[in-house]
Amino acid sequence: MGFKKKNRHVGIVGIGETKFSSHREDVNQPEMIHEAVKDALEDAGLTMDDIDCVVHGNMELFEMVHQPDLWHTLGTGARGKDAFRLTTGGTTGGTLVGAADNLVAAGMYDTVLAIGFEKLQEGHTTGGITNMADPLWARKLQSGALTDSAAVKAIAEFGPDRAKKAAMLYRIIMDKHACLNPNSHRAFGLDWDQMADLMENSPPLIGDLRLIHMCSQSDGACAMILSSEEKAKQQCDHPVWIRDHITIHREETLNLCVNHYPNETTHRFAARHLYERNGITDPLDYFDVFEMYDPSAWWGADWIRDFFLLEGDAHYRLIEEKEIMRGGKMPINPSGGVLAANPIGATAMVRVAEAAKQVRGNAGPHQIPGTVNHAIASSFGGTMWTILIMLEKELNW
Amino acid sequence: MTTETKDCFTIDGKLALPYQYFAGSTGSRFIISLREEKKIKGLKCKKCNKVFVPPRSTCEVCFEDISDNWVELPNTGTVTGFTIVRYEEPHQPLKPPYITALVKLDGADTPFAHIVKGVALSQMKTGLRVEAVFAKKTTATIMDIDHFRPKAEKPGFEQGYTYDQLEEGMSASFTKTISETDVYLFAGISGDFNPMHLNEEFAKATPFGTRIAHGALPQSFIAPVLGMKLPGLGTIALEVTTRFKAPTYFGDTITATGEIIEKLPEKRWVRMALTFTNQHNKRVAEGSALVMPPVPMKSSIT
Repeated sequence: MGFKKKNRHVGIVGIGETKFSSHREDVNQPEMIHEAVKDALEDAGLTMDDIDCVVHGNMELFEMVHQPDLWHTLGTGARGKDAFRLTTGGTTGGTLVGAADNLVAAGMYDTVLAIGFEKLQEGHTTGGITNMADPLWARKLQSGALTDSAAVKAIAEFGPDRAKKAAMLYRIIMDKHACLNPNSHRAFGLDWDQMADLMENSPPLIGDLRLIHMCSQSDGACAMILSSEEKAKQQCDHPVWIRDHITIHREETLNLCVNHYPNETTHRFAARHLYERNGITDPLDYFDVFEMYDPSAWWGADWIRDFFLLEGDAHYRLIEEKEIMRGGKMPINPSGGVLAANPIGATAMVRVAEAAKQVRGNAGPHQIPGTVNHAIASSFGGTMWTILIMLEKELNW
Repeated sequence: MTTETKDCFTIDGKLALPYQYFAGSTGSRFIISLREEKKIKGLKCKKCNKVFVPPRSTCEVCFEDISDNWVELPNTGTVTGFTIVRYEEPHQPLKPPYITALVKLDGADTPFAHIVKGVALSQMKTGLRVEAVFAKKTTATIMDIDHFRPKAEKPGFEQGYTYDQLEEGMSASFTKTISETDVYLFAGISGDFNPMHLNEEFAKATPFGTRIAHGALPQSFIAPVLGMKLPGLGTIALEVTTRFKAPTYFGDTITATGEIIEKLPEKRWVRMALTFTNQHNKRVAEGSALVMPPVPMKSSIT
């Protein structure tokens, strides 16, 4: 891969998030985005005059609005500034951070504002995903955002009993995290003794994927301000450094339930390359927290193995021993993750934002105990697009 | 490279794109004012003093929150741009042709799109003064303003078309049913008590077999057309000629129509073709008129 080291260091100096919710009738799209932008500017102690460029994104077609970036200028502050619109599906939020990282690292701009949003209540996700093409021609099996392929795979490998328990355990851990995060859209207050009931009685969606396993559709926005090392140090006492990011897209469409061709998942492929080029041999040991784009509990449980380059059932043991909970060996999604809120174009950026807040130590009620020096955040898009973003507390690598 | 398209198949598709739009609390307050008070309100930026209609909660130039600085605006404004929609699509608010225009309300800095009615398509122009007509029934949308109509700048008299505004092909008409009373009154006005108009027994002996109206009675119906419609108020009729083609019986409904057929630039007069038809679309008379269209009235009148 033609990877080159960054031209200069890039730090996160401002983070803004709205409350995530199923409905935001009180604001239109630019107004909702404005909340996150204002929050990020306040967090950074900056004004729009300090921003050189705005990158803006959401999932294409989900609100059925043509060129939302133009309309949103009312709330983004992009008027008269260099601006880009990016749309890469579920990965959009990660793409926005990656693009802002590149723009600053390249020296094009010193300070870039990245904005991801979605207002799913206004649109129709199936219209934007499943209806986009012929249901059969040149496609694999498609059921929109819902698929039980991860469940089929896990049950084939570990048996129904262990696999279903692991997925539900993962789900309840995420809910316990979500209950601490004031921005959560969904925080039920689930407890361990409800596992059997939920595995049996949660409404089935497709195969072994049940409603309780699946993420929601949310309204919300996230904004992040990235600056060059020199600027970041002036603007902020403790910038969070973006050490590296990788963005990979290598699978044509969703994998079939069982791999019919031997391949490494894009998640594992991306993780392997990222760690190799940064000299990280034991990611589980190196990172202090992981914010994962986990659209369903089945996927979340399965993907731990790929992201940390684990073998066998090592990922299941992490779940079963609750090592992925706050206070555990590898806390995953202290924010509650995507299962807590999924404003799609913002979701992947929220992963980076939440990981960065954990590094700063001011995440709020869901701040994990202990110092967070190294964090990683993942993004996921419909056709297995993977972005991994590595964050560092100190500039010492 | 070959560009042969034989045996290259095309797959047809169609996207269904349902969506909603949340107006938000700021946009909703604008709609509530329309619905409850029939008032158009805008938001004013305290920093640059711009007034936005429809309202927006931020001034994107100053990047200021302005969502609580409401100002009331009059229902009148000026057209800053317009287009005439001539094709039909299911999503359109009206059957074409109709006019959509950008209307900048008096006191606002931003124009907004709406519908203009009550002006001939050919007479629509940028700069037209308009006023809002509120809908009789609320839909809690921007359509609580039903449309904008030309504002009568000098209320009381709506002057007719001037020479420059008139185009060949413009037409107008007046329709009325002729009753027995009309004929008796006309007899009194004109002194024409000819029994063929007044005496049924006498009329039975004439070629018409029954009473008929005076020929000048339907002919007079062109007066409201010329004087009040086309060209309209302020018109001076110079010459009216009529040739009678068929009788008008009691109870007939006569339509008098005038159409501009020629503009006479030297005198700034217009020649009009006149037709008079009954309810069976039979032409009872035809003719022509020469008129002097209105010139701007003296201010003492208006």
